Amino acid sequence: MILAGVLAAGLYACKKTVHLNLNSAAPQIVIEGEITDDTTGPYAVRINRSIPFYTENSFPAVSGASIKISDNEGHVDSLVETSPGVYTTQTLKGRPGNIYSLSVLAQDTLYTAVSTMPQPVKLDSITFNHQHIFGDKSIFAIPNFQDPPGIANYYQFVEYLNNKLLNKDIFVFDDRLSDGRYISRSLRNDSAYLQPSDWLEVRMYCIDKPVFDYFDQLEQSSGGDRGNAASPANPVSNISNGALGYFSAHTVRSIKLQVY
Amino acid sequence: MSGTIRDRSSGETLIGASVVLLESPNNSSISNSYGFYSISAIPGSYTMVVSFAGYGNDTVAVYLRKDTSISITLENIAKQLQEAVVTAGRNNNVTKPMMGVQKLSINEIKDLPVLFGEKDILKTLQLLPGVQSAGDGNSGFFVRGGNTDQNLILLDEATVYNPSHLLGFFSTFNSDAIKDVTLYKGATPAEYGGRLSSVLDVKMNDGNNKEYHASGGIGLISSRLNIEGPIEKDKSSFIVSARRTYADVFLKLSKDSNTNQNSLYFYDINAKANYRLGDKDRIYFSGYFGKDKLGFGNTFGIDYGNSTGTLRWNHIFSSRMFSNTSLIYSKYNYDIKINSGNNNIGITSYIKDLHFKEDLQYYANASNKINFGLDVINHTTSPGIISASSTSSFNPLTLQSKHALESAAYFSHDLTISTKVSINYGLRAGAFMVMGPGNFYTYDKDGNALDTTTYSNGKVVKSYFNLEPRFSMNFRLTSSSSVKLAYTRTTQNLHLLSNSTSANPTDVWIPSSNNVKPEIADQVSAGYYRNFKDNQYEFSSEVYYRGMQNQIDYKNGAQLIANENVESQIVFGKGRAYGWELFLKKKYGKFNGWISYTLSRTERQFTEINSGHYFPANQDRTHNLSVVGIYKINKKWTLSADFTYYSGNAVTWPSGKYEVNGQIAFLYTERNAYRMPAYNRLDVGATLQGKKTKKFDTNWNFSIYNLYGRENPYSITFEQDPDDPSKTRALQYALFRWVPSITYNFKF
Repeated sequence: MILAGVLAAGLYACKKTVHLNLNSAAPQIVIEGEITDDTTGPYAVRINRSIPFYTENSFPAVSGASIKISDNEGHVDSLVETSPGVYTTQTLKGRPGNIYSLSVLAQDTLYTAVSTMPQPVKLDSITFNHQHIFGDKSIFAIPNFQDPPGIANYYQFVEYLNNKLLNKDIFVFDDRLSDGRYISRSLRNDSAYLQPSDWLEVRMYCIDKPVFDYFDQLEQSSGGDRGNAASPANPVSNISNGALGYFSAHTVRSIKLQVY
Repeated sequence: MSGTIRDRSSGETLIGASVVLLESPNNSSISNSYGFYSISAIPGSYTMVVSFAGYGNDTVAVYLRKDTSISITLENIAKQLQEAVVTAGRNNNVTKPMMGVQKLSINEIKDLPVLFGEKDILKTLQLLPGVQSAGDGNSGFFVRGGNTDQNLILLDEATVYNPSHLLGFFSTFNSDAIKDVTLYKGATPAEYGGRLSSVLDVKMNDGNNKEYHASGGIGLISSRLNIEGPIEKDKSSFIVSARRTYADVFLKLSKDSNTNQNSLYFYDINAKANYRLGDKDRIYFSGYFGKDKLGFGNTFGIDYGNSTGTLRWNHIFSSRMFSNTSLIYSKYNYDIKINSGNNNIGITSYIKDLHFKEDLQYYANASNKINFGLDVINHTTSPGIISASSTSSFNPLTLQSKHALESAAYFSHDLTISTKVSINYGLRAGAFMVMGPGNFYTYDKDGNALDTTTYSNGKVVKSYFNLEPRFSMNFRLTSSSSVKLAYTRTTQNLHLLSNSTSANPTDVWIPSSNNVKPEIADQVSAGYYRNFKDNQYEFSSEVYYRGMQNQIDYKNGAQLIANENVESQIVFGKGRAYGWELFLKKKYGKFNGWISYTLSRTERQFTEINSGHYFPANQDRTHNLSVVGIYKINKKWTLSADFTYYSGNAVTWPSGKYEVNGQIAFLYTERNAYRMPAYNRLDVGATLQGKKTKKFDTNWNFSIYNLYGRENPYSITFEQDPDDPSKTRALQYALFRWVPSITYNFKF
């Protein structure tokens, strides 16, 4: 994929914006929910709808849903809508190893999902990799951490550059080929360039397999240079009843530092 | 009567030359892949006329009493201004039952304009009916709705697993080394098997057995050199052809120390030698070796390439019986090295064949010819070996090798029933045995391994037997027109796993197994053939329908790389393809060329995709038109042009968008419900023949690819507009506009 990307970049003689006659699918519900091991809480579930491709990026909120999150220790939390389409927990504290169940009743349809919060993995440090490919100089952040041997681990990384989410990059790794290794893997940005002395925060999540699969497929179908699947499709969600989105119980470890 | 037909000046055998007895025009023969012909008649006096496109005829008076061996040489007149010569035997397309066959000679393609000035048989093939390009400037091709991996591509009988260089922009075939190219897309002869949609049989030159010659070409991005000559005059010869691209030389000129360490080139070498041991035996050795090297400084490098070797023994048992025995080796491998920080990783993979083939041709009499033989191939694939340094983020991993034994026995019978009707029927009986050692898994519907069985070395894990009937029939309407019908079953036991938009050198071949069943295709076709003006013009119209079983697609998010359980990532379904092909060709004269049009539909059906409804395959294109013209103005100048138009491929585009994790995600509804914009392009070329002496011959070739600079979309991607984040946009990428090239060719 790297190979095809780099070669293609060298070969593409011209690119231009084109207007395509795209269908407008009926609006579909999108649910995003997260529980983390950051016990300060609260945790949020967002619900909105899909829109046509050529409409402005403002996604209609779905209000008035009834949402519950429970865990395997018997805690049940009924979420409160704090702003349109955003629902927050009241009492729940996320704990690694627990199994969380989400139920959303929105517009007479019940959507459910289950996610298990994995044990956390320590993020040791962030270092930087300077690369030059065909005259382009790039800096990529490298998270360094020890993968626990003998168990399947799934990681997600999120970058905030100068306190702003780098929202075009999806970084998910699994240890399928790296079990028990000390892992240093570049986070190759697609959308932004890191510059020396920028402030970068890298958050490492330990996620469960369905959430990993979701983001892995989302990346493959992302429609950009890195999503080169011959036939893109919607990622398989861990939420029932055809909802788009995901419900993820994950741990968070983060490091903030200046790019060098 | 039997013998060999050769080029008078080089001694090169001629494939597909026609031999006719004037007194008995139904007694005719076509020389086989080794130039051998055999013709039977009752004793008497005959006038034998031998002809071959681009060559002058030869007429021999024969008094036939007993089996007679007559070898013929023909003179190449391609360089002269060709007048339309009335010739017998130029209407094989009308008289023989074979259909869905396209032949190209290097003479025909040498004047056509091509991308980067690099003559390329695979790109020229794409201008023929029923054959589609895999993309702008790409040498990959689809035949009658098949995938690129459903073409059997043979170079001197050896399978070429990856027929392209530089990610598809060049074919592995150096046209200097090639004698003859035949594409079977309809009624595949029984001697070929192993792929569903077509057979591309490429034959290498044998080399001049009379005198030494060197020829070559210098182009903008590559150069070629070809040396040939006798080892022992009239008895044996050799030929070596090599070429290399040098785009990377320009990178070396860069002052940037990172850029000048990048490499991006390929080279390939074709070599062949043959030796005649008396009148009845001939031995050939041919080999191919090609390598692509891509690298970015020290951080990333990939090498990949094919190597093949063929050892052949022709034996003439009698004037009626011709035998060829071949031992064939074929390998494709890639080798990746990654060096980044603490990560030192190597990934290698290969597929390797050892192949024995025995083919016998029996010319029983004027109306019966029988062809039979045996094929045994031992396949070994190593899907991936990862080596990693101790500080690397990855574990070393060796995916288990896969072994299979593919064998087949076949026969076919060419039978002339009357002056009006001739048929060819045959059968290929194939066995595919999946062999140990190895662990074999069964999976549940979610792809979880349920059960593992371990087989030891040499144990048969699974066997598949397939009978492949082949039938074609010719009904002559008049002396210059005919109607043909054919039915063909083909099977395929090696499958290329490729999930991305373009062919990657790292795509892996897997054999059929306990989980992966053989792909099967049944094709029926019918055609009308008509020649005009003493066979100067050739017209054909063919329709076909092909049904396909056990076709392969992938699960959502399939993990095809370094995955021991890769078979769990596959889904199986059906396919159907049908179409109508029209072809009009002017074969001789100052002006020649062709028009080719295909109307077609290609669909797939998988339970898991599109709610189980048929959907258009990625390569489905409704219209496909090519117009090719070559005009010889005078002895110095030849002009050429080709125009291509095709409808857009079926593609999956979003029908909406939504937000996930602060990121815009696209909403997909149906598989392949959209169409890329239509493609069109005009190329022009000119060849200037330099002063020609007996000793020295040069020419200049000029061409412009995509003359009117149309931005043909290569891909369309979707993204959030970086200039206006409140919007999303579709971006179209186009590759080649106005690519001029100039090549200098020489021969001495």
